[in-house]
Amino acid sequence: MSRSLPAGLRRVLRRELRQIRFRPKLAFMLLPFPVLLMGLLAVVFSPGLPTDLPVAVVDRDNTTLSRQAVRMVDATPDLRVALQVPDLAHGREALFAGDVYAVVLIPENMERDLLAGRQPELVTLYNNQLLTIGGIVSRATRSAFATFGSGAAAAALVANGNLPEAARVAIQPIPVQQSPLFNPALDYVHFLLASLMPTVLQIFITSAAALVVARDAQHVNGLVRLRALGGSPLPALVGKLLPYACAYLLTLLIADAIMFGVFGSPFNGSLVLHLVYSVLFVLASLSLGTVLAIVAGDTIGALGMTAVMTGPAFGFAGISFPRITMNGFAWAWGGMIPLTPYLQLRTDQALRGTPVELSLPDVGWLAGLVVLYGTLALLLFARSSARTSQEVPQ
Amino acid sequence: MMRFFAAMADALTRLFADKGARMTMVGSILIYACLYPQPYVGEVVRDIPIAVIDQDGSTASREFLRRLDSSDSVAIAAVADGMPEATDLYYAREVYGIVLIPPQFERDLLAGRQAPVAAFGDGSYFVLYGGLASAVNQVAQSLGAQVRLSRLTAMGVDQATATALVAPIDIASVPLFNPNGGYASYLVPAAFVLIIQQTLLMGIGIMHAGRPTRPGVPRLATPAAYILLYMVLIGATQIVLPWVYGLPQLGSPLTLFALALPFLIAVTAMGFALLQVINTREGVVFFLVVQGMPLFFVSGVAWPLESVAEPMRSLMLLFPSSSAVLAFTRVDQMGADLYQIMPVIRLQGMLALGYGVLAVLLHRWRHPNAG
Repeated sequence: MSRSLPAGLRRVLRRELRQIRFRPKLAFMLLPFPVLLMGLLAVVFSPGLPTDLPVAVVDRDNTTLSRQAVRMVDATPDLRVALQVPDLAHGREALFAGDVYAVVLIPENMERDLLAGRQPELVTLYNNQLLTIGGIVSRATRSAFATFGSGAAAAALVANGNLPEAARVAIQPIPVQQSPLFNPALDYVHFLLASLMPTVLQIFITSAAALVVARDAQHVNGLVRLRALGGSPLPALVGKLLPYACAYLLTLLIADAIMFGVFGSPFNGSLVLHLVYSVLFVLASLSLGTVLAIVAGDTIGALGMTAVMTGPAFGFAGISFPRITMNGFAWAWGGMIPLTPYLQLRTDQALRGTPVELSLPDVGWLAGLVVLYGTLALLLFARSSARTSQEVPQ
Repeated sequence: MMRFFAAMADALTRLFADKGARMTMVGSILIYACLYPQPYVGEVVRDIPIAVIDQDGSTASREFLRRLDSSDSVAIAAVADGMPEATDLYYAREVYGIVLIPPQFERDLLAGRQAPVAAFGDGSYFVLYGGLASAVNQVAQSLGAQVRLSRLTAMGVDQATATALVAPIDIASVPLFNPNGGYASYLVPAAFVLIIQQTLLMGIGIMHAGRPTRPGVPRLATPAAYILLYMVLIGATQIVLPWVYGLPQLGSPLTLFALALPFLIAVTAMGFALLQVINTREGVVFFLVVQGMPLFFVSGVAWPLESVAEPMRSLMLLFPSSSAVLAFTRVDQMGADLYQIMPVIRLQGMLALGYGVLAVLLHRWRHPNAG
């Protein structure tokens, strides 16, 4: 152990390491378990974008053209025609049973109406309860039908109506050249996974601090002994949390290695800054856990409070539903959680390649949380370790 | 029978006397009910701020931008002179997308050539990206259809045929459930199925981890009491909560409880089996706190379960929530009937049986003398 560390800190650190060693089950849950969970999440999301989502088809027309439309839906990589049903009632049944995500309806006389220029209606009834999947399915059927309309359908019309060949050229006068800024692959999965892993880690880091500090806090004189061992509050807390800070920083970097190494996610920003805010994220989460532990005073209460703070954090961080659309309360609450600035910084640096100086305010925000929760933890620790020591004599 | 009810009442009294269990099984659900829906109460994204660069400055380009601004999902927040200015605004998070209309946009349109526009969306936030993309595409299509129509009529094609040629078919997409595409309707009822599972498991851990099981009647009455309490909480979170937040509800309460019963039995059995593996209160709670989030993401809500490869998929289905979350959604938000969710009810029954047997076997193995 390094001689350069203050003696009090070293004593506390040695005691903490001993405790971890003698409680293998707890040690497993604190350290290898998060890595295992990251690995499992990576396996779950590794197939990439969902493909071949099942849809049902009701083809009431059953002509060459309608069969062509069905084939075009099936040919879309996102979709797969899982079953052909005779009517809408059967289609709805499959939708309720969860067998398909949408029912595609081709009306009677579709071909005849099309050739007569009566614009038959092709309908997709999709399950919008599952917003993400519903969105993919409805977009994919729309684009399949649009291709069908401007291709096969328009060709049939031109051939049928003896129109000039020039009318057949179905070019879109205003094509949209669409490109995402700085996430060229527009990879939903890896993007989701990259946000999910720090979210799960925040729960781990905060819970771990909450658990180990609350274990001291719930014993008579536990915090007093910890303070005595460390000499003063700061070395006592630092020594106590140092093993977890190192372990979770390592876990966070392993998660990054999975993202940038295995999945090949882009990293466009500053690596130094990435390290800086990763460290700050771990420190802020540990401090938050410590505060909750001392406020609760017992392990179960501390873990419960941690679950309330960090469990819904993903929603408040604005990854799925953006922060700019939230109400004032949700916006402010999200701002108090370390994950929010961390994910914003991560997005800026990894995906967008934001210039470092533009990211500095967010670094300040995250550092502010470290200072806030760190100071609060020290004050609470100083107060409760002093108070309990006075109560001892009786 | 009376002794059974008395034992149930006793179990509930013990539960409410324990601060940790009370806070977890009732308190935290109330807090979650207030807190969890907050980010999503706005339901849908409107007026995403974007920057536009109009290098043409013509009637046509202004018409394009006017239509874009009046769409629901985007609002023009800044008019930039060029890409550097627009990207600065983007980096500063003042705008979340950029639309560029190149010079000679109108001239190309009038000359019958293609007149492309460029849209740069925010690839790091998918909701924002999708909102901009659909708004720009809609405007381009409607304006483009007008242009094609006038080109065809100029060619000598009569009006009716021209209309049919521009849009040979009508494409309609009908959202069957959650018609507004609301985020709260999508996530909140589903998340509470998981919250129910995790808090019930935690409560069992808090009440029983490391403590000897009480023999006789309480052995069955205690789980029954928890299940009864949680039937009430299912009603609170699946019927009352969506009503308070004004989320659409179609299902029948009877079907809901017919699903809830096997689900809660499975979860309770799993809770008692878990006690035999992790035997401290804090160990059980820690284990459950950290796995809540990952479990939500394998419940088929954010991600189709059929996209998860075997054997991972089967492994995930061992958690009652993995199949139950969507089943609850189907009943409550979509109005599915009992027959339609029968496979899930059967699976929950099998899990209940499996975890029940496991709990008993593990208990016998660990306490060979307990009788």
